[in-house]
Parts: sequence; C-alpha cells; structure tokens
Amino acid sequence: MSTSQAIYAGWMEIPNRAVDELARTQAEDETVAALVSQYAGTLYRVAYSVVRNASDAEDAVQEAFLRVLRHRDTLGEVRDQRVWLIRIVWNVVLDRKRRAKTRPETDDVAELARVLPCGGLSAEEIAAAAEHHAQVLACVNKLPSKEREVLHLSAFEELSSVEIAQVLGITESSVRSRLFRARNLMASLLDHARSQR
Amino acid sequence: MNSFARNASSHNSNSDAGREGALGSAEATLRLLARLPAPEGLEDRVMAGLKSAPRSARVLRWPMALQPAGSWMRGAAAAAIVFVVAGGGWGIYSRVQPAQPGRAVTMPPHVGAAGGFSSAGAMRTPETLKGPVLTQPVIAKPVQAKPLPKAPAQIAPAKSGRTEAQGRAIAHPALTAVE
Repeated sequence: MSTSQAIYAGWMEIPNRAVDELARTQAEDETVAALVSQYAGTLYRVAYSVVRNASDAEDAVQEAFLRVLRHRDTLGEVRDQRVWLIRIVWNVVLDRKRRAKTRPETDDVAELARVLPCGGLSAEEIAAAAEHHAQVLACVNKLPSKEREVLHLSAFEELSSVEIAQVLGITESSVRSRLFRARNLMASLLDHARSQR
Repeated sequence: MNSFARNASSHNSNSDAGREGALGSAEATLRLLARLPAPEGLEDRVMAGLKSAPRSARVLRWPMALQPAGSWMRGAAAAAIVFVVAGGGWGIYSRVQPAQPGRAVTMPPHVGAAGGFSSAGAMRTPETLKGPVLTQPVIAKPVQAKPLPKAPAQIAPAKSGRTEAQGRAIAHPALTAVE
C-alpha cells in the first residue's frame, strides 16, 4: 500500500493542527523578514546615534530582531510596529552601553570626519567641521542622561514627541520639558566651550 | 535709554544670537548623525543571523503512526510511570527502618561567635574558702582522739570560756591532730 493509499484509507492521516502550525510559523517568519527589510536602517541609525560605533550599532540591530523573533507570537498585538521596534533597539543599546563601559564611543575627530557627510568641502573645512561635531558630541555627553536621551531621539525627523514619549515610556509633556532643559544646558555648555577657546 | 543700557541690550542680543547659532549647529550635528545611511547589506546580515539563531523550544509530538492509538497509549504510559514511582518509593520505605532517636543529647562545643571576645585561654578557678581563724592561742591538754560522733548534729555545745571557733576547732578531727 502506498502512502497516499494509506492516507486515503484513514489510518494514516495528517492532522490539521500540524498544517496550521506550519503555516503560522511561515507567516510569522515572513512578517519578521518584512520588518527587517523595512526598519533595519532606522534601527541602525537610532543605535548609531547612541553608541557611535558601526559594528556595535549593527550588533544592537541584530539583537533587537532576535528579541522580536523570540516574541513573534505577540506580533499581532503590536499597534505601531515602528515605535515598538525603536523602543526595543533603544533598550538594547542602553543595556549594552551600561554593561560595556570599556569600549568608548567614537569621539575621535578623524572617525567623525570619515563618517559624517561633508560633500563639496575642502580638506581643511572637513577637518574643522569634524572638530566642531566632536565638540558638540562631547557637550551632549555631558548632559544628564534623561535630557540626553530626549535630545538624541528628537534629532530623528521621523519621530514625533508623542512617539518619543512612547519609546521612553514617559508623557509627552515630560518630553517637552526635558527637551527644553536639554537645549538650555547645551547652549550654556557650548558657550562655555567657545569662551575657553 | 542711556548708552550703558543700549550696550548691555546689544550685548545680550548678540550673545542670544550666538547661543541660538551654536544650538542650531549642535542640532544640525545630531541630525547629521540621525540621517546616516545604514551600511550596505545590513538587512541580509540581519536575516542570516536570524536564520542561524536557535528556534524556541517546541513540544515534541507523537509519531504519526501512533496518533490514532494515542489516547489509550498515553494513559498506559502515565499509569506505568505512576506504578514505577510509587513501587520504588514503597520499596525504600519498607526496607529502611527509621533510626531511633538518641536519648543523650550531646551539646556541641561552644564556639565563640566570629568577631566576639575570646577568653585567651584563661581558666576560671573558684575562690578557696578561708579556714577558721583563732583569736587567741589555745593551750589545751592533749586530748585523746575520740571516735567521730555518729551525727554532726549531736556535737556538744562549746563550754563556757571558749569561743565558738575554738569549739569548732576541737570538734574537727583534723585540727585536733595538728594540736
């Protein structure tokens, strides 16, 4: 008796439950793949703005999607997948930063000159711009963590204050007040730096 | 408005403009960072990493051939497991006698708590009792040793002219021998 005959005979049947689960797994994998192709770049930029290191940022994105894969059963319950993913990668990045204090952020002027786009500038101008960027980032690092986080996320044009509040788990008014404080502090820090030169 | 106030206000407006300019350039730097393009092939690398990642644990399923008979086989397997566990437990219980509890309780040696004071090896010696002191020398005739009275309560009271201590000294055989 062949396999198909046995199946039709009734004593060797494929249960519907197994077929359903297989289809569900495939659908979840396809959803995760779509999320990767759509949001990997955004997550990378969010991660890079904090760690300022290409390989660390890529690792953070990888870990964020691994967490998504682990909780793919709950993907259907997520309302705003973009904010949800940014929140995941944000937590991953902060965790890593807290754990590994040994690896410093890239505040090297040469590295910044290489990374940041300076199209149509002379070599001297590029060096001056890189130095300015390094000074700005050093001032950002001096900010208190709450203000610094809000300032980092506010630089992303695709994130509104409501979405920043969702990522950080605070209210929108808190986001605004922290941003106000961050801007004031940054201005005084930059003033101080300028007066020292 | 006097010249000082004019100068001050112009200085303030200049510094405000400078602050705003510096702040604007700082935000421009952060925006540049936020707009950095992702590296080439990031999605492919992430997908490759996800494919090689271990899948979450899944419940093992019965083989297809055993599926129709699954209900009674599961019951039989469960009953066999219960029988083996219960039988093993009963076997151990019936063979092993519970130990008789000891009557004497041995106290563990006293160990001083960590950080406490130690005795530094000093031993306590009890104070010895002082013997009776005679106030005046006793010149007594040699007295023959008498047999000990049967009961100490029947000792004759001291004669007049002797102190109570003297009386005790005579009554005690050891002191009598010394005399």
